[in-house]
Amino acid sequence: MTPRQGSAPRTRALAALLLLALAAPVAAGAQDVPRAPDPRIAARFTGEHRVRLEAILDSARAADIPAEPLVQRALEGASRRLPPARIVTAVAGLAERLRLARRALGAPASEADLLAAASALHAGIEPATLERLARSRGSAGVALPLIVLVDIVERGVPQDTAERVILSLSDPRVADADFQALRQSILGDIGSGAPAGVAAAARARGLLVTHGLAAPMP
Amino acid sequence: MPDDTTMFDPTGDEAAERDARWRRVVGELRREPSVRPGALDEVMAAVLDPAAGGSVRPIDSAPSRRAGRLGWLVRPRMIAVTPLHAAAALVLAAVALGAALVRRGDAPAPSVVAAPAGPAAAAATGTSEAAAASRTVQFVFVSGAAREVSLVGDFNDWQTGTTPLRRASPDGLWTVEVPLEPGRYTYAFVVDGTRWVPDDAAPRAPDDEFGGEKSVLYVRQDT
Repeated sequence: MTPRQGSAPRTRALAALLLLALAAPVAAGAQDVPRAPDPRIAARFTGEHRVRLEAILDSARAADIPAEPLVQRALEGASRRLPPARIVTAVAGLAERLRLARRALGAPASEADLLAAASALHAGIEPATLERLARSRGSAGVALPLIVLVDIVERGVPQDTAERVILSLSDPRVADADFQALRQSILGDIGSGAPAGVAAAARARGLLVTHGLAAPMP
Repeated sequence: MPDDTTMFDPTGDEAAERDARWRRVVGELRREPSVRPGALDEVMAAVLDPAAGGSVRPIDSAPSRRAGRLGWLVRPRMIAVTPLHAAAALVLAAVALGAALVRRGDAPAPSVVAAPAGPAAAAATGTSEAAAASRTVQFVFVSGAAREVSLVGDFNDWQTGTTPLRRASPDGLWTVEVPLEPGRYTYAFVVDGTRWVPDDAAPRAPDDEFGGEKSVLYVRQDT
C-alpha cells in the first residue's frame, strides 16, 4: 500500500469528525427551542388565542427571552378568569418588556434580573436607569435593588427620588440584605408618618455612611 | 596466497611512498576552490532575502540562549498543514470555546434563601419568611374571618386549591411551606376561593393589566 492510498481513509475519518462536530451544536440549539406546544397553554386556551400565545412563546425563545414567565402570565390570567384577548395582550406586553430588559441588562442577566427589570419598566423606570444599575452592580445582580425600587415607588416614594436612592446604593459592596433592610426601614418610617421621599433619602444616606460610601453628617 | 599480516605491516620504502600519497590527497581536499571575488557575499545575500525565496534567518534573530532548555518552544520552524487539518482545528477550537461559554453561564448552586420578611400584619394581610438554611419558604396569612385560604403564584401555575394554607391558630393564623428554586416569583392569597389578596408585608408588583395587586418573592442564588 502506498502512502497516498493510506491517507484516503484517514481523510474520510477526519471529514466525518468535522461533520459530527458541526452537527452537534445545531442539534443542541434545536433542543433549546422546543416546537411542541406547551401543554398548560393547550389545556387552558383554544383557537386563535392559543395560536397567538404559542407564537409569542416561540418568538421569545428565538430571541433568548425566557418563555416560562410568559406561560405563567397566561396561566395567571386564566386563573383570574379574564377574557383571553386581554390575557394575550398582557403576555405580549410582558414579552416586549423582557426584550427591552435583555437589551438594557445584557446577555449575562439572570431570569430573576430580567423579570425585575421588566417589572421596573412597567412601573415607568427608564431603560437608561436599568443600564446604569447593571453596570454598577456587575455580577451582584439587579433583581433585589429593582424589586425594592418598584416597591417603594408603589408605597409613595416619588419615582425620581427612588431612582436616585437605588442608583446611589448600586455599589456591589451594598448587599441584597442591605436593600431588604432599607425597604423595611423606609416602610417603617412611612408607617410612623414620615414623608415617603424624605424617609427614602435619609435611610439611603445612612446606608451609604455605613458602607463608607459617604461621609457622616457634620 | 599472501600472508594477511603483510598488508598491515609495511616496511621501508613502501610505507614512505604510501604516506606521501596520503598527504597529497589530504592537501588536495583541504584546498579551497577558487571563486570570483564577492561571489560568496552575493550568495549569502540571496539566501537571507525572503523576497528572493530565501528561508534562512540570520543568526542574530534566532531565539536567545537565555531560553535554555526550553528554546525549542520558541524556535521558529516550518509546519505543513493541509486545508482539512486547518478546518478541523478551527472547528475544535470553536467547540471548545462554546463549551467554555456554556460552562461560564452555569448557575452556582443555591445556598441562601432570601424572602420578604415583615412584621406581623393586621387581619387580611399576609407575611412570608424564609427558612434560612433551606429553600423552603414559609407563607403566612392572617384572617380570623376566612374559611379557607390558598396560595397561587408562578411556582404552582396559579392553580387555586393546589397549595392550601392550614389554620395554625384559632385566631386566624394561616401558614404553608413551599420548596422553591432561586428566582423571582409573584404570588397572591386566594381567600374563600374567590377573593385575591396580596401579601401586604412583601414587595408589590404593579399590575394594571390584570387589575389586581400581587406580591413579589425573591429567592436569592448564591454567588
